[in-house]
Amino acid sequence: MAENTDKMVIDGVELTGIWKEFLPSRILYEDVTTEFLDEVKKLPGGSTIVRCYQCGTCSGGCTLPDFVDKFNPRRFIDLVRRGHYDILVNENKDLVWKCVSCQRCTHRCPRGVNTQEVVRAIAKFLEDRKVFGKLTNDEAFDEIFMEEVIEDGRIDEIKIVKDFYAKTGRLKEMMSADQLSLGFKMLTSGRIKLFGGKIKDWKKVSQRLKEELQ
Amino acid sequence: MKTVLVIGGGVTGLKSASELAQMGYNVSLVEKEDYLGGQVAKHKYYKLAPDLRLAGDVIDPVIKAVESNANIKVMKHSHVVSVSGSAPEFKAKIKNSKGESEATFGAIVVATGFGHFDPTVKQEYGYGRFKDVVTNAEVEEMLNPNGPTKGELKRPSDGKIPKKIAIFQCVGSRDRQVGNPYCCRVGCVVSTKQAIEIKEKYPDSEVYVYYMDMRMFGRGWEELYGKAMEDYEVIFTRGRGAEVTLKNQQLSLRAEETIMDRPIQHSVDMIILAAGMAAGEGTIEAAKVLGIKQNDYGFLSPKDDFLSPNESSKPGIFIAGADKGPMDIENCIVEGAAVAAKVAGSLKN
Repeated sequence: MAENTDKMVIDGVELTGIWKEFLPSRILYEDVTTEFLDEVKKLPGGSTIVRCYQCGTCSGGCTLPDFVDKFNPRRFIDLVRRGHYDILVNENKDLVWKCVSCQRCTHRCPRGVNTQEVVRAIAKFLEDRKVFGKLTNDEAFDEIFMEEVIEDGRIDEIKIVKDFYAKTGRLKEMMSADQLSLGFKMLTSGRIKLFGGKIKDWKKVSQRLKEELQ
Repeated sequence: MKTVLVIGGGVTGLKSASELAQMGYNVSLVEKEDYLGGQVAKHKYYKLAPDLRLAGDVIDPVIKAVESNANIKVMKHSHVVSVSGSAPEFKAKIKNSKGESEATFGAIVVATGFGHFDPTVKQEYGYGRFKDVVTNAEVEEMLNPNGPTKGELKRPSDGKIPKKIAIFQCVGSRDRQVGNPYCCRVGCVVSTKQAIEIKEKYPDSEVYVYYMDMRMFGRGWEELYGKAMEDYEVIFTRGRGAEVTLKNQQLSLRAEETIMDRPIQHSVDMIILAAGMAAGEGTIEAAKVLGIKQNDYGFLSPKDDFLSPNESSKPGIFIAGADKGPMDIENCIVEGAAVAAKVAGSLKN
């Protein structure tokens, strides 16, 4: 048979020539960077991330994986350090903030990494980059709670419920019959009050708090 | 002729004593226990890595060389209580059951060695709580035909031979929680050796090693590691043992297979903790009595790690062996000979 000297190229891979070209080596990640590590390192509680030597003591003893599959502090640290931002966001953004702060990892870490704080810092790092998108109910409640404490110095039950439903776009749900009857029951049994008291001269404290939190 | 005081009757002390005696010096060897051989004798080390030769083959000639030499005065069950004077004339008070005696020495060799790390403080491993969690030193005793189990590896709880055995590496070493951030330098090869010994004796057993890094830097160590994997099917898992619990009356360990990103739970019959090396009691005592410098971990500091590795911070007092830091037997023998040469040189001046 005559030798075929023409080039045959399928999907950008040359099938003639050196046989090795059939099998390009697989590249999983390109352009690794320490830019994210630098960022997490500077966040509160993130500084000890550099000490980690990836032994797996934290993940091996972690109390979460029984309930939250794939929760793995060692891997979060690894991904940040190697700069695998895509994997961190796509696979782990819903996991990182689920840490329950039992501190088992921190107490056992042979390298003195404050693992719980580092995981928190990684969550904060992702939050700062707005990867979580829409607020979850928990986060919305947290925000309103803090706002109200700073504004009034106390929590007004009716106001916080109203604001919470408004913030999560469920005001209609609040006005449903069973919610209203529940509210009425709580009102008559004295669980909630129609008008919360005011705190004297809170304005000054509020001002100071706002300045501090800037 | 001047007399040299050697503190410690372990491998290093014995070797330096016999070398000095051969050079014609008189040596007084002080040993706190009533036997010679240090940790090798104490824990009845059976075989040595990487050749799996009997520890007795190595330690017995060294002991014999000391005991048969008339220039060496061996004082067992003795302690050095106090030392005064300076080089080249030290006055040392040595105490034993019979009473105290004082003698003059031209130089002092400190070869007080190490102690096995006590894993009780690593509470998550359950040593002391669970009978079947044992240390590597205890396994050495068991594997030795002259040991408590006559060479059989038996579970302390019921005397049965374990089928599944896990070995935890780096217990009390590379660990800031217990204040020992250094590498114990022998745990890797000792565990590999023990795994091979177990598999050789009980081919039906399964041995799993949980490690962070296997540091096989010594002569023939890497080859032994390969042998363990290829010929003996020892399973090496990269992940530090995280905790040990009791599940349905069986030991259960947790760790992460870090290569697979997978936390695992593993039921085994016995867990061996590769406890590292810590500064021995004798070393801490000697440092106090002699007033020589220690490093952060209690080991003795040489005057200069590179240029004068066998000299302590005080002239005329020499240090050698595992009291300077973790060291294997092979290097301890080298150290013993090296310190002898150094002492002889200093006494000539």
